[in-house]
Amino acid sequence: MTEPDVHTLAGPYALDALPDDERARFEAHLAACQFCTTEVAELREAAVKLATQVAAPPPPRLKADVLNAIESVRQLPPQVGGGALRQRYSRRSVFALAAAALVIAGAGGVAVDQYRDKQAVLQTNEQMAAVLSQPDAKTSHGKVDGGGQATVVMSARADAVVVVLRDLHRPPNGKVWQLWLMDASQRAVSIGLTSGDLTKVVQGNVVGNTTFGITAEPNGGSPGPTSAPVAAVEMT
Amino acid sequence: MTDSTPLPWPGSRSGPSVSDSDLLLRVASGDTAAFSTLYDRISPWVYGLIRRVLRNPAQSEEVTQEVMIDIWRTATRFDAGRGSAQAWILTIAHRRAVDRVRSEQASTDRTALVAARTVEVEYDEVSDTVSTRLEAEQVRRCLDTLTDLQRESINLAYYNGYTYVEVAQQLDAKLPTIKARMRDGLIRLRDCLGTTKGGTR
Repeated sequence: MTEPDVHTLAGPYALDALPDDERARFEAHLAACQFCTTEVAELREAAVKLATQVAAPPPPRLKADVLNAIESVRQLPPQVGGGALRQRYSRRSVFALAAAALVIAGAGGVAVDQYRDKQAVLQTNEQMAAVLSQPDAKTSHGKVDGGGQATVVMSARADAVVVVLRDLHRPPNGKVWQLWLMDASQRAVSIGLTSGDLTKVVQGNVVGNTTFGITAEPNGGSPGPTSAPVAAVEMT
Repeated sequence: MTDSTPLPWPGSRSGPSVSDSDLLLRVASGDTAAFSTLYDRISPWVYGLIRRVLRNPAQSEEVTQEVMIDIWRTATRFDAGRGSAQAWILTIAHRRAVDRVRSEQASTDRTALVAARTVEVEYDEVSDTVSTRLEAEQVRRCLDTLTDLQRESINLAYYNGYTYVEVAQQLDAKLPTIKARMRDGLIRLRDCLGTTKGGTR
């Protein structure tokens, strides 16, 4: 999915014209490509206007059927992660507790830093596609304080997390961004360091974690979070 | 040539306008009256589109019903910051129709079907109200600004539910060419209609 023509797939994708396997791969790519996500949204706005050419009212009885049916259909709960401010703060306070408790845990799983070369990119995309194609894959979004977006895709089946950070601002002088996974008992596990945007697949020892977080830590990182998080994304 | 006047959607002209986005947000909080209003506004688009793709009226009604119930069920997931209500709704409808086509054709020879179906869009299917006419006319004018290959590629994919591979076969063109024409055709359409992310209203 790193061929030069990857961006042209936004066209067929917006028209639902990608074969199933390519659609899945492109959706994996979308998670890591802000440009593509924006372009797809724009092209979809144009594509749906084609519906004006074929508008036709449904039979009147259909409305009664639908209104009748929804009486017994439960609505999905709102999606959390980048949602209401209140929720975000409560997650943050939980994360801050973890920082205070300074629960120390070793590096969990194998973190694969990417974009060194084309082969690595291809490999990451395959790994990402493998995670995204899991039926239990769940995508969560969160804002990063000071600018930037964190997207996390978790699959318990694959025991893997895909982390995508975009438009991240630079950490304070002498500091580095440290990435964490935290479980319900607020045990935080470091999954790596970064000073800017990154795409990362973390494989293994992922199941059981409920929150992804970012803190500013002294260069070289800390054994556990020592400051309030700039981002906390609930993954489950 | 380029007309960037926002397009009217049904109902948006009547009364002090509540946008479809606002309606959808109310639907997300369980408001069945808002859902009823939203249904009246968007069902001709949803049903017309699904019927154009599936052709079979009974099947189209069934899928329309599924889509409308799905909109009720998943309205909480609509994010007005990411696009218009129309795009969100019609994206669900179109994908559902395409997925139905694919699952039905999984065991048949799609090649034969590709050749059997028609390329032409039947403009006379357009329902007959003034605002609908105006909007449809604007979209049609914009479609006319596309090259033949752009327009045919987009029409075959969107109205017939073809994959780009099938479109390429039908039009006897190379795969990368068709992919590129779909994208640059949609970009031209977008620029002509003045639609951007966030919708037209």
